[in-house]
Amino acid sequence: MEELRELAKKLLQEKQVNAVVGYECDRRGVRPAFVDDPAGCDRLVFDHRCVQNLPAYLSPRRTNVAGLGRLAVVVKQCDARAVAGLIRESQLKRENLVLIGVRCGGVAANPNESRELGAETLALRCYGCSGTETAMADYVVGEPKTVPAAGGDRDARLAEIEKMSPEERLALWKEWLSRCTRCHACRQVCPMCFCERCVAEKTQPNWIESSPHIQGNFSWNVTRALHLAGRCVDCGECERACPAQIPLGLLNRKLAKIMSARYGFAVTDDPSTPAPIGSYRLDDGQEFIL
Amino acid sequence: MSVPAKEKASSFEPNIVAFVCNWCTYTGADLAGTSRLNMAPNVRIIRLPCTGRIDTLFILKAFERGADGVIVSGCHPADCHYTAGNYHARRRFAVFRELMEFMGVDPQRITFSWVSASEGGKWAEVVNSTTEKVRELGPFVSYPRVAHAQVK
Amino acid sequence: MSRIGVFICHCGENIGRTVDCAQVAQAMGELPGVVHSVDYKYMCSDPGQALIKQAIKEHNLDGVVVGACSPHMHEKTFRKAAAAAGLNPYLCEMANIREHCSWIHEDRAEATEKAKGLVRFIVEKIKYNRPLSNIFIPVNRRALVIGGGIAGIQAALDIADGGREVILVEKESSIGGHMSQLSETFPTLDCSQCILTPRMVEVAQHPRIKLLAYSEVESVDGYIGNFEVKIRQKARSIDVSKCNGCGECTKNCPNKKIPSEFEQGLGFRTAIYVPFPQAVPNIPVLDRDNCALFKGRAKGVKKQVCGKCATVCGRRAIDFDQQDSFITEKVGAIIVATGYQLYWIGKEQESEILHGYGEYGYGTIPDVIDGLQFERLASASGPTGGKILRPSDGKEPKKIVFLQCIGSRDRAKGMEYCSKICCMYVAKHTMLYHHKVHDGKAIVFYMDIRAGGKGYDEFVRRAIEESHALYLRGRVSSLTRNGDTIRVQGVDTLSGEPVSIDADMVVLATAMRPQPGITSLAQKLSVSYDLHGFLNEAHPKLRPVETNTAGIFVAGACQAPRDIPDSVAMASATASKVLGLFSNEQLEREPLIARVDRQTCTGCFHCERVCPYGAVERFEVKDRKGNLIKVIAEVNQGVCQGCGTCQATCPSKSIELDGFTDEQIFAAVNAL
Repeated sequence: MEELRELAKKLLQEKQVNAVVGYECDRRGVRPAFVDDPAGCDRLVFDHRCVQNLPAYLSPRRTNVAGLGRLAVVVKQCDARAVAGLIRESQLKRENLVLIGVRCGGVAANPNESRELGAETLALRCYGCSGTETAMADYVVGEPKTVPAAGGDRDARLAEIEKMSPEERLALWKEWLSRCTRCHACRQVCPMCFCERCVAEKTQPNWIESSPHIQGNFSWNVTRALHLAGRCVDCGECERACPAQIPLGLLNRKLAKIMSARYGFAVTDDPSTPAPIGSYRLDDGQEFIL
Repeated sequence: MSVPAKEKASSFEPNIVAFVCNWCTYTGADLAGTSRLNMAPNVRIIRLPCTGRIDTLFILKAFERGADGVIVSGCHPADCHYTAGNYHARRRFAVFRELMEFMGVDPQRITFSWVSASEGGKWAEVVNSTTEKVRELGPFVSYPRVAHAQVK
Repeated sequence: MSRIGVFICHCGENIGRTVDCAQVAQAMGELPGVVHSVDYKYMCSDPGQALIKQAIKEHNLDGVVVGACSPHMHEKTFRKAAAAAGLNPYLCEMANIREHCSWIHEDRAEATEKAKGLVRFIVEKIKYNRPLSNIFIPVNRRALVIGGGIAGIQAALDIADGGREVILVEKESSIGGHMSQLSETFPTLDCSQCILTPRMVEVAQHPRIKLLAYSEVESVDGYIGNFEVKIRQKARSIDVSKCNGCGECTKNCPNKKIPSEFEQGLGFRTAIYVPFPQAVPNIPVLDRDNCALFKGRAKGVKKQVCGKCATVCGRRAIDFDQQDSFITEKVGAIIVATGYQLYWIGKEQESEILHGYGEYGYGTIPDVIDGLQFERLASASGPTGGKILRPSDGKEPKKIVFLQCIGSRDRAKGMEYCSKICCMYVAKHTMLYHHKVHDGKAIVFYMDIRAGGKGYDEFVRRAIEESHALYLRGRVSSLTRNGDTIRVQGVDTLSGEPVSIDADMVVLATAMRPQPGITSLAQKLSVSYDLHGFLNEAHPKLRPVETNTAGIFVAGACQAPRDIPDSVAMASATASKVLGLFSNEQLEREPLIARVDRQTCTGCFHCERVCPYGAVERFEVKDRKGNLIKVIAEVNQGVCQGCGTCQATCPSKSIELDGFTDEQIFAAVNAL
């Protein structure tokens, strides 16, 4: 912790960056923090409650953040995938950014988690993660930690749904998606949803019905998931942000599995590997085409 | 096939929309016409320049508007008029199809095919088999439909 | 509110028999926005078209839907008619109720219902059509020809003779290509040099041809009509403006034992050299890798080691410090004519799919040579003065075995295609051998004799009947040294007998492959290529010399194995295509291309990745003071072909393909 604070202080004092984006404690847990004063660096913390994906603030669409100029950002290995994604898609320049990589050792599902990190509290996305720092990091802080053992099969729910009949699955998703109020929190929190004008808000034509009605909700959620195919960084923030508790992570996870099975692809923190959608191989599978 | 099933099948005429590319499948469908190949009248074609142009939103909207089935068809690999549109479409629809299946849309309601300009016969087959399949599946009323009356 | 006119055609009985056209017209007339709806016997006839034109004027129509045959049949017809009546042609669309309806259905009620649906799609779609006008692109009426072999020479001369400037780039120090190495040519046996050199001289002297020998294309930017090509002029170490080609330098170069590339390694050249006496331009080049002076420099020897050539050069043209230089040329069209190389049977291969011939000793037996080496032996200007002599000991071979299809048509060796020219040149070789060594025996192992072409089969017959070449159908399984001779073991499949021959020399008709570096050139040009590196034509039958990149053409053996007549024909075809393109100052194109909504584009460049043509460029949006606001996508109108893959890929739908916009398709789907 001291190492992180000292580093942040140094970066600010030496004017290498205008602000450091990290985490601080609030009454219940931790929350993102923007520190632009060396004196404020003592607020910074990092522990297993730091679940938020801070690179979500780096999209140029967040003009108030973009206006801050050169930033240092605290990133876990998973967060770095979002940085890589934004660089890959021309939304961010690596040279405008200082990345403070943390050795995280896994995080909880929830920033307000009061219990220790263990099989029960570990976030799904940390299952099988090494918890080491990202290769993109300019600085690395913290001692190496080990991620606790997983509390079961991450994809148990997914497998359960896959076994259902089409009718059952459709009924399930209709029920879930009928809860959607189209608040678009899933989109706002997503580091990879950075369009200036989302297709859901395009009115000419109005592909996706904008009222919170099941017909548009279905199109919206299918489209959102598809747009993230091969791009989703698996930070789980959409599902955490959803006030209707729709298991959006299932859609993202399903797509990640499709990407891996079909195209041997997984999203990484390497900005030079593009998503499979938008490229092709001559021998791509086409067993579903007559 | 048992007799009652047949009766059920004949009582429902599915509404199917086909999104096809201009150069291969549309021309193949033209050839089916010039060859006077009889086929089911349930499929209506919307012409696009290339399968690369066919958006997943088209299919979602078609189901919302009451389509019971959808066909997407274009040039065979290596035959794309625009060299690569079909390859991009192939990936797009491979992923879309699996996601739809996961969300409970029976993949049998969406037919993907490569039909070249010389494959009038194949087009007729695609039309007939898709119609038959969708007829058996029945009307797709469980899909989240647009509630208000159709604007005509 | 739209003012749409709907015109339903009976096509005589073709549509009318199964579709109740009057009923369709009536139903369409009730759709909102339709102000006029009629049916008529033959819409495409003059009176039918007059009907449309009259209705456009009378009802002040802003959209015309013709329900008739396939748009592939008559879209142009009706758009022209609409334009004649003052309506923008892109406000006229067709609904296909013949091929897609009346011809494939029997039930009249069903077909009529379907026809209504099909026409309704288009009526709804056309409400969102907007007037479009054709795009005009300026054309820079100069051409670049890459490759100075016979194909490149022919293309350059044809274009230059047609009145347009040509830049001819050749990577070697002289033009002429492989044809200049040949002794005689099939099927007439006329001397290759005799027919080629006058054309080479013509190139050098042509006022409209700018010859850049010893140069290579470095990069290509732009699009049809407006290419910008950066060309690297490699350092010859000679000041071209001073050299008069006297040859003193080559005469005095002390290093005379460098295997000559032109002689296929059978002869020698000096370090400063002209590849062959008839070279164009007749200016030497200094081979720095083999020059004593440069070797000394590389070793760090302070004293200048040689420099004899510079001493004897009366015009002080030798420049040891010359560097590669770059020039940029603006051209409107590019012809690729980079030709071929022969497959090498050795162990080391440049590509994983290729395999050498261990059974033939991987090319280590000195008297096993390839076809081009035989050409040099047979050539009067060759290393032996035209005498057929063995490379190993200079003796006259009395028995030569020729093997066809070495590499070609052999999947195991990586080249399943037929190299096309080998059957003919092997026949030629047997004849040349017979003419020069009367008591020599030529034996040919072949798989099939492919002699399709004018006078070709007759030529092969002459080789067999008059030059007494022995043709054995079969493959050779091994070549081994047997004392002074080469043991050829194979099989004659017609008699079924194994054959063993002790030959004095073996000539391999090795496969034709595209030039090394073709793939990197193709990538610079964004031209696609096949597994073997042969460039892809736009259509194998109907557009054989065009590529999928507009404005770039292919001629000769860079596209597939070609003989001289084919290459020349292709070259002239490209020249005619280029001259056609250059016949107007501007190129007119259909406007059905993509455009970007600058306001909503986020600049993620997914479109750039999927565009098959590289038509998406980066555009900087700046405020009035010139501060960069964002970088977004921009479609190059000259390059976009209108596939629309970008639009389906764009996550925010900020790119629209005119003619098939989202609004149009949405309206059609909504009419379901």
